[in-house]
Amino acid sequence: MKHTLALKVNGQDYEVSIDPWRTLAWVLREEVGMTGVKMACDTGNCGSCTVLIDGKAVKSCIMLALQAAGKEVTTIEGLATAKGLHPLQQAFIDHFAVQCGFCTPGMILKAKAILDENPNPTEEEIREGLSGNLCRCTGYVKIVEAIMVARDQMKAAKTGKK
Amino acid sequence: MAEYSVVGKSPIRLDALDKVTGEAKYCTDIKVPGMLYAKVLRSPYPHARIISIDTSKAEALPGVRAVVTGKDAPEKRYGGYIRDQHALCKFIVRHVGDAVAGVAADTLEIAERAVDLIDVKYEQLPAVYDLEEAWGTSPPAVVHPDLPKYEKFVAQGLYIHLDNDRPNVAHHHRVYHGDVEKGFKEADHIFESKFVVPRIQHVPFEPHICIIKPESNGSLTIWAGRQSIFRIKGHFCAAFNLPPSKVRVISSFYVGGGFGNKAMLRAEPVIALLAMKTKRPVRHAFTRDEMYTAGGTRIPMVVFIKDGVKKDGTIVAREMRVLLGIGGYADSGVLVCRNSSFGAIGTYKVPNMKLDSYAVYNNEPVVTPFRGFGSSQWIFAIESHMDMMAEKLGMDAVELRRKNVQREGDENGNGEIAHSHGARECLDKVAEYLEWGKPPAKAEGPWRRGKGLAIGNKYSVAPTSAMAIVRFWEDGTVEVRHNADEIGQGVNTAMAQIAVEELGGSMDKTIVRWGDTDTDSYFPQGSTSQRTTYQLGNAVYLAAQDAKRQIFELAAPKLKAKPEDLAIKAGKVFIKSDPSKSINATDIFTADRPIPPGQFGEYVPKYGEIIGRGMWVQNYAPENPDNGQIDPALARKGLRLVSFYGHSCQGAEVAVNTETGEVKLLKLGAASDMGFPINPKMCEQQMESGLIQGIGSALWEEVILDKGVVLNPNLRDYKIPDAVNMPKNENFKTFMTPAPHKDGPYGAKGCGETQMTPSAAVIANAVYNAVGVRIKQIPLTRERILKALKEREKSK
Repeated sequence: MKHTLALKVNGQDYEVSIDPWRTLAWVLREEVGMTGVKMACDTGNCGSCTVLIDGKAVKSCIMLALQAAGKEVTTIEGLATAKGLHPLQQAFIDHFAVQCGFCTPGMILKAKAILDENPNPTEEEIREGLSGNLCRCTGYVKIVEAIMVARDQMKAAKTGKK
Repeated sequence: MAEYSVVGKSPIRLDALDKVTGEAKYCTDIKVPGMLYAKVLRSPYPHARIISIDTSKAEALPGVRAVVTGKDAPEKRYGGYIRDQHALCKFIVRHVGDAVAGVAADTLEIAERAVDLIDVKYEQLPAVYDLEEAWGTSPPAVVHPDLPKYEKFVAQGLYIHLDNDRPNVAHHHRVYHGDVEKGFKEADHIFESKFVVPRIQHVPFEPHICIIKPESNGSLTIWAGRQSIFRIKGHFCAAFNLPPSKVRVISSFYVGGGFGNKAMLRAEPVIALLAMKTKRPVRHAFTRDEMYTAGGTRIPMVVFIKDGVKKDGTIVAREMRVLLGIGGYADSGVLVCRNSSFGAIGTYKVPNMKLDSYAVYNNEPVVTPFRGFGSSQWIFAIESHMDMMAEKLGMDAVELRRKNVQREGDENGNGEIAHSHGARECLDKVAEYLEWGKPPAKAEGPWRRGKGLAIGNKYSVAPTSAMAIVRFWEDGTVEVRHNADEIGQGVNTAMAQIAVEELGGSMDKTIVRWGDTDTDSYFPQGSTSQRTTYQLGNAVYLAAQDAKRQIFELAAPKLKAKPEDLAIKAGKVFIKSDPSKSINATDIFTADRPIPPGQFGEYVPKYGEIIGRGMWVQNYAPENPDNGQIDPALARKGLRLVSFYGHSCQGAEVAVNTETGEVKLLKLGAASDMGFPINPKMCEQQMESGLIQGIGSALWEEVILDKGVVLNPNLRDYKIPDAVNMPKNENFKTFMTPAPHKDGPYGAKGCGETQMTPSAAVIANAVYNAVGVRIKQIPLTRERILKALKEREKSK
């Protein structure tokens, strides 16, 4: 029997009718149309499907969609604002942290969760935080570099505001 | 060196914005109206006869639109080099995961349920797994008893050579250079060893996906996230006996990683049968599990090496015998059998050489190209052996390499004359970075430190060619149309850089269209064999020259000059001798009548549009298939068997825990001789990427099989490198030591594959340096290291 699921994705309300066993990743891709959510392993090991749920990074391929009822989901499509790209997105571009791009949405969202939780992580803490997000192309050097650059910019922007 | 505006610099990647915003589209994101979903039923047995298949229950399931079995498949077998495979198995299954039936249904879930309802009766047959057994003269099973009768053809320099005494040998490749027996007689020392390299998987994050749609005119459109769509098209046309105009392959989107995995047909023949039967578009995606069993893996190898050296370290003879386990079907395994021998040819001067490699069928999963195309496996053995010999000779491992490494002008084992050979410079760079000669830090607790390095090489195959189109728009935009595949390497950016450089444009005003066999230009071998920068780069360069010729022809009357006296830069066409006399390049365009510019578009006189066409064909000297040698007269003229060789050196400092066997990576370095770096940042990406993928193969990665069944077909049990395994960025450095190539665009050549070839030996050598155990089988798991340490204790 299909269930009705109401959820908020990237600030917009959606109501979908789904089988209860559907994963959040599937619903976001197939019902909501957020194809920036990528699925590579389907077992919660690679992190390509990472989204933010109420600000926390979650692997959406191993979460039932119904568990997201009433929650705020952010996918990569919702990260940029009218003002422009998020500093992480810009840093990933500027520092060549992107190759095939399949892991990139999950990687950037995970990085955002890391920085939201701790605005000043060390390189080791960033790497530890990324341990559940795999990348087969890059070697992580440029991903970590981009996150450190974004970290510094975001810190500077905050201090500037004060 | 000439001053360039765009090439040699690192403008941001054209694909980066779409990839960080989620806008980037991949095959997995494509939906075709009316699309059905497919599932393939795969054999649970490594070797069996199909007695019967009952599909009635599956067909009765609501939502199922078609079921196909071997009866629906063409009688003709397909295959890239040996036609040994039916679109669906007709009589025999040859590996666990072999395709037995296919279902198309309204949803994937229905297709999955239907597949479970298909009742197949098998009679199990004796199977063969062990490579040396399979290679033998009376193996426990013969995988293709009809092999001598199969259709074989010459392609990419491969002449299939069966071995009458060894029924599972699909190809025996031979390279005989000089006189190896004489060489061994001259040697002061002879060293011999055996190395084992297992099966690994590429793990592209996007699995194999295709959608096939039958068109009303009888043609088929195939959307597929592949590498080299013309090869896919060619193999597909041959499989279904279709003319070129009846098959269109589209890959005009991003591909989520390739690494060689996507260069050959996978499920496309089965899905085509379903599409033709239902007359509807059908989509199929591999699960991660299927990627390991049926998605193609790297070729496992057993490598025997015997080297003859003088007291001073000069290598005078090298003999290698290599067995390649190609699984149930030849796929590209027979070509890897030939081409992997280049791994033994591209680095060192060896005057007497005998290389015999055998592609051996067994009842294990199919193999397919993998970054390095077999060279990595050979080089693991060679570069481990170099360190072993250096120790026995009492020589420094770097000195031994310096003594033997090829230099410009040296003759190699195929009789080619080395050109663009930067191995020595790469070696020096990495040795300096590792502070070679300075002992590693002292032991701490159970941790022992060690350093290791190795040299790698990877050719790019010939004969080969590339075509490209460059268009110059009325607003100054530079467009490139090509048919390489954007698998993450950044081909669109590099090709745009070349066209923009030549047409004086700007990277902000570029369009790149790619990936459609109907509309873009011919590039028969696509993004494989690290060829695109070199091959396609040349074609784009030539296409840009053709466009420039047209622009100058039309600008010349306006500037009252001859076309040959003109130049173009920063949007202006000007007289070389007097740059103050110039027009905007876009001034050559005109409209029909005086209207606001651009309102109805503009054209140029004579040509209509400025469209340049470029074609690059690699000059090539074929080998004698009986001994792998090219004609010395052609070699002296500078002709080669391959397009080019790339060289690299990598090094590591590691800490090994003598109680747990764990290896920690403390410092990593990689150097590449990529000719001319068209985009240095993207070259760095390749160096980092190749090294880490090689380290995965050295330390963790192995597809573990038990009687043909994959035991670890997922990313939990098959571990690939993560961000924590790697050293901090300050301890992970890459170096460019370009060795310009006379035929490359601006001197450029490829570097993506070269970078993975030495990595496994780097780690094995560093571990040896740390704890004194020589491990000749990768991956160097904790278990293997501990076992080796224990055995050494016992033998003391």
